[in-house]
Amino acid sequence: MNAARARWPLAGVAILLGAGAAIVGNPRPRQRAAIDVRTLAAEVARESDHVSAIQLAEWIKAAKPGLQVLDVRSAREYETYHIPTARSMPLETLVTTTFDPDATLVLYSEGGGHAAQAWVLLRALGYRNVFALKGGLDDWLEDVMHPVQQTDVTRYFGAVSRKPGDAPLTVETLRRHGC
Amino acid sequence: MLTPLLVGIAFGAALERAGLGNARKLTGQFYLTDFTVFKVMFTAMVTAMLGLFWLGRLGIVDVQAVYVPDTALASQILGGLVFGAGFAIAGLCPGTSCVAAASGRGDGVAAAVGMFSGMLAAGLAFPWLAPLYEYHVRGAWTLPDLLRISSGAIVFGIVLVALFGFAVAERLERRA
Repeated sequence: MNAARARWPLAGVAILLGAGAAIVGNPRPRQRAAIDVRTLAAEVARESDHVSAIQLAEWIKAAKPGLQVLDVRSAREYETYHIPTARSMPLETLVTTTFDPDATLVLYSEGGGHAAQAWVLLRALGYRNVFALKGGLDDWLEDVMHPVQQTDVTRYFGAVSRKPGDAPLTVETLRRHGC
Repeated sequence: MLTPLLVGIAFGAALERAGLGNARKLTGQFYLTDFTVFKVMFTAMVTAMLGLFWLGRLGIVDVQAVYVPDTALASQILGGLVFGAGFAIAGLCPGTSCVAAASGRGDGVAAAVGMFSGMLAAGLAFPWLAPLYEYHVRGAWTLPDLLRISSGAIVFGIVLVALFGFAVAERLERRA
């Protein structure tokens, strides 16, 4: 087939592929979420679905390969305070974002409720190494940023020691410290 | 090392095959008498765009891993003008100057030598040029984000613009 005659079929293919693109809209694969409820229930029962604040702090300090800390609260709350190295990832954004399948994804919210729901969503999307931060940001502030006994890890994050009778550390007090 | 080499050789071969090692053909673009450059480049864009879109959709390519350079309008417009001026004067662009040099054309060798000395000079002058590079860098702008329509609709629009452009180009060529 000479070049002049080849161009009509080529133009047709380009139009078809282009029109198809306009119909499907976005170039990411369609997400097929599937839940194996028994496996997930077993993981929750074994408590292998979450990490403690201290464990997360150790992972961040050691720059654990593939670690991604995801803040599922609103972007504004993230702006006010967030765990170091965390990315802002509200739930709606979370489910349309593609992560490295081998990454270790740690989710946190204020108290842990939203993070636990996000954990189910990410597991349903097929990510294997997903953890919710146990106790959420509240536990992070209490155990890492405001511990009774300082350790290497808490000092690394600039923690303030807690004395008996101290009020619990909140995001607002941290702001006043200028962190 | 091997993959970039092979891709580079294939790219050069495609440029040569399209006749883009020839400065006369390239300058014809600027006088609107020969639209080979326009047709080759737009064909490459449409092919790559449709390929990436559908390979991404089928889950073979991770579209998010594709690097999109930051948008810095002032320095990019200035760079584009410098690039275009060099292109019109030499009759060759970076890729085609290498192709022309490889196929033994004297002007190609001159343009390639000029390109590498220019790169060296820009590299050495970088401390002075840095403010220009960093001026008003505002993340990567993309058409779907700016126009708030889906990537797929943009893809279709570009295909239509390309086909319309090809038709106009052929008509202009026939007249020239």
